[in-house]
Amino acid sequence: MKKVLNDIKKHVLTSISYLLPLVVAAGLLIAIGNLCGGSVMESLDDLTVPSALTTIGVWGMGLIPSFIGGYIAYSIADRPGIAPGFLMGQLASFLNAGFLGGLIGGLIVGYIALAIEKYLKVPKWAQALMPMMIVPTVSTIIAGLIMFFVLGGPLVAFTTALNNFITNLDQSQKVAYGFIIGWIGCIDYGGAISKVPNLICDGLMADGIYGPEGIKVLAAMVPPFGVTFGLLLSKLIHKPIFKKSEEENIKIAFPMGVCMISEGVIPIAMNDLVRTVISTSIGCGVCGAIVFSMGVESMVPSGGVFVIPAMTNPLWAVIGLLVGSCVTAVLLVLIKKRLSPEEIDDLGAIEDDTEEEVDLSGFSLS
Amino acid sequence: MKLVAVCACTSGIAHTYMAKEKLRKAAESLGHEIHIETQGTIGVEDELTPVQIAEADAVILAVDIHVEKGRFKGKRVMEVPTSLVLKASKQIIQKVEESLKA
Repeated sequence: MKKVLNDIKKHVLTSISYLLPLVVAAGLLIAIGNLCGGSVMESLDDLTVPSALTTIGVWGMGLIPSFIGGYIAYSIADRPGIAPGFLMGQLASFLNAGFLGGLIGGLIVGYIALAIEKYLKVPKWAQALMPMMIVPTVSTIIAGLIMFFVLGGPLVAFTTALNNFITNLDQSQKVAYGFIIGWIGCIDYGGAISKVPNLICDGLMADGIYGPEGIKVLAAMVPPFGVTFGLLLSKLIHKPIFKKSEEENIKIAFPMGVCMISEGVIPIAMNDLVRTVISTSIGCGVCGAIVFSMGVESMVPSGGVFVIPAMTNPLWAVIGLLVGSCVTAVLLVLIKKRLSPEEIDDLGAIEDDTEEEVDLSGFSLS
Repeated sequence: MKLVAVCACTSGIAHTYMAKEKLRKAAESLGHEIHIETQGTIGVEDELTPVQIAEADAVILAVDIHVEKGRFKGKRVMEVPTSLVLKASKQIIQKVEESLKA
């Protein structure tokens, strides 16, 4: 069972990796187009440069379910899976079940295609037709009918319920959910746990709800900003909390953070895991609570500070980011231990390359 | 021992290259030869040559996503997530070495 779940996770992550450049480009096009006064064109008569950008961007967003479905199916069944997967995405768009529909459709059609590749034995002369005709056609027929007749109703109901729930949250609920999304979203700095809320944010964005995406983008920058502010604050009040090597790490982590990569904080967190994670995750939560309740929205899922101008309410976005980072900084300075001068200067020491003992029994050479 | 490896993570900008560095360092310090291909969001870099693959004793796939495995047909392959490589690159290489001897 665990292996199946791991496999599914890998397939979903594969599709996300192909999806990211599409949503970044489409999101930025919409944002730039809208900022310059563009809107979606009805016909060529409405053509202006901003409207052209907005329109292309909106089409790009419309491709999300197909990308999800297509590349999940590709990950499962290789090339013959791509075409049926894209078709399931179109079906999901029709059901207005965008992201979730594409995900489920892609998984179903992918596994069906894989089963056909494996178990359907055809005479030699027909083998060339397998990847070209038989697998895509048969898997699309089976999965398409399942999607329409069995899953269509429930998918529509679920998506509508979820969207209603998010859009009808009141102010205090928004503070709470914003905190939770931000908190979980960076608890392991871009690792396995934070993938879950981030995926949900991406999914909501595909369905036209952009608030959670704002939390995701901004909160991801809080840990690197927070440790940087923490370093400055610790110098200011003369309570050294970072070693020399950690200072060097922070100098790398900050520019990475500007580009929305929180992973730069990992080496710093590893040295003092519990205190660092407490400080950064609370900072992320505060950032999430502020930006979600103040109506910050992002149509761009990635890009760091460079996409803040393209957000709705960019001023509150900046405030949320800064306040969250300051909270992290203050917490770091408060709860991290004061270091003695000998502890600080660790650059002279030999690089420590010992590893923690890890259980590798689940992995083997094929 | 001679190794080849492929690194690929979800966003293709951070873990891919961190895993590459870890594997390179670990292999060097244990005295093995390693060639590492990265499949980041920018595309394939340092693509493994057929000769490198043919000469390799084993293949390490440090991947969180789907990568083409056809060219490693007949090779001994170990697939691990990138996060594990960041934590325990040496132990992974040691495990490969032990498994080859067994």
